[in-house]
Amino acid sequence: MNKVAIIGVGHTKFGKLEDKNLLDLLCDASLQAIENSNTNDKDFDAVYVSCMLAETLNHMTGIASALVDRIGLIPAAADHIKNGPASGGSAIKNAFYAITSGLCDMVLVAGAEKMTHITTPGSITSAIATITHHNAERIHGISLPSLGGLLTRSYMEKYNVPKEWITSIAVKNHKNGMNNPNAHFQKEITLEKALNSPIIADPLRLYDTCPVSDGGAAMVLCSAEMAKRFCDTPILITGVGQATDTHIVYEREDLTVLKALQICSKQAYNMAKKTPIDIDVAELHDAFTILEVVESEDIGFFKKGEGAKAAFDGITQIGGKIPINPSGGLKARGHPLGATGIAQVIELVWQLQNEAGKRQVQNAQTGITCNFGGFGNNIVSILVERM
Amino acid sequence: MSETTIIWKKCKKCGKLQHPDHLRCIQCKNTTFNIVKSSEDCKLLTYTILTAPPSEYRDKKSYAIGVVEYSNGLKAIGQIKSQENLKIGMKLRTKVGKLTNNLDGVIIFGIKYEPF
Repeated sequence: MNKVAIIGVGHTKFGKLEDKNLLDLLCDASLQAIENSNTNDKDFDAVYVSCMLAETLNHMTGIASALVDRIGLIPAAADHIKNGPASGGSAIKNAFYAITSGLCDMVLVAGAEKMTHITTPGSITSAIATITHHNAERIHGISLPSLGGLLTRSYMEKYNVPKEWITSIAVKNHKNGMNNPNAHFQKEITLEKALNSPIIADPLRLYDTCPVSDGGAAMVLCSAEMAKRFCDTPILITGVGQATDTHIVYEREDLTVLKALQICSKQAYNMAKKTPIDIDVAELHDAFTILEVVESEDIGFFKKGEGAKAAFDGITQIGGKIPINPSGGLKARGHPLGATGIAQVIELVWQLQNEAGKRQVQNAQTGITCNFGGFGNNIVSILVERM
Repeated sequence: MSETTIIWKKCKKCGKLQHPDHLRCIQCKNTTFNIVKSSEDCKLLTYTILTAPPSEYRDKKSYAIGVVEYSNGLKAIGQIKSQENLKIGMKLRTKVGKLTNNLDGVIIFGIKYEPF
């Protein structure tokens, strides 16, 4: 099996980007990644494009074919990868498979979402809710935030956890986002303000949820053998995992357990011959504050029921024992669905290259992601290391 | 709202209770099932009050959603008629009926739990 390296990355600003359409965002991120990887004159074997709602929100199909045409990568193989909010992680996984198998040498992964032009109340919520189980959940008016609300209440009840421990994650991630020039939000918030923000799906409030964002992210991957020709500090992908769980959330034995994450992170750890103790920094999928809590447990950093307290006690802040979401996470960096899984790995690349500026985690050598598809029913985890 | 029970599937081989949509058992892959009816009453496991509804529920400012468990171990999700005095563990009664019209105007039927 060939080893796989990331040799260049591209990341647009995330936020409300009025002058950019979906294809612009894919192109901007891709061209940045190509330039950053010094592969301007190179042919690519394959391009994987991640986007969740191109058809619904942008009335576009064939976006992978459109991208290779617009940025001059014909005749590279081009595919559109869709796994809801975990599309980015899935696209990286496919690129990893292509290179590690020896079938491809040079691969571009690009993800984007253009969402903020949709202003009709409920439209974005409804479009994202199409990923829930139609006959059991969706017909009852279930949204992703409402599943977050159900999980938050279950978790608080089961582990006797106060809401401020959970919401403290929003404060931490906003603080980290302050130092991320690409972040949707670059301002601090107080715990008091977060705890008193408007209710979205009780007990989940506005500041417990990520924003709707536009943005694009991309990376160039190649075999580790070739990597040093293009990049002084390539980052290796040494572990990849993906697993599914029941589509209907209540059919899980325990709502507060993300079995798919337990399985896919174990796959990634085993492939990389690492354990949770070896991880220096993590990018988790905090679409809702409760998700960072539960994910920090099921990825192996904390025992069940202890994730919220750990966050409240500062263990997951930069400078803490295991920093989580130094980028600001989905909460502050923003959540352009198809770009998120790629942006998570890009943050780890910058951290491992010691290029993260004021949000740098000292001596970060190994990192892991959780990219959460649906409501935990299709999760991708990627483990990266310095070469 | 007239029906007071819901129909579920029980795997003939391993006994796993599951939503009727499954064609193969989610636990053992068996393809034969018995039809199981829920009891009328159930207990609330967790709930939320949604104040940012998807477009299908554009006519409502908010509504409550709950996950419940029946005495036979069957779980289900549905709306709850009341948004006040909800408490984990409280008893609810199952009602099935019209919930809304979807974006194409089609009537959507589903579960709406009623507190006693």
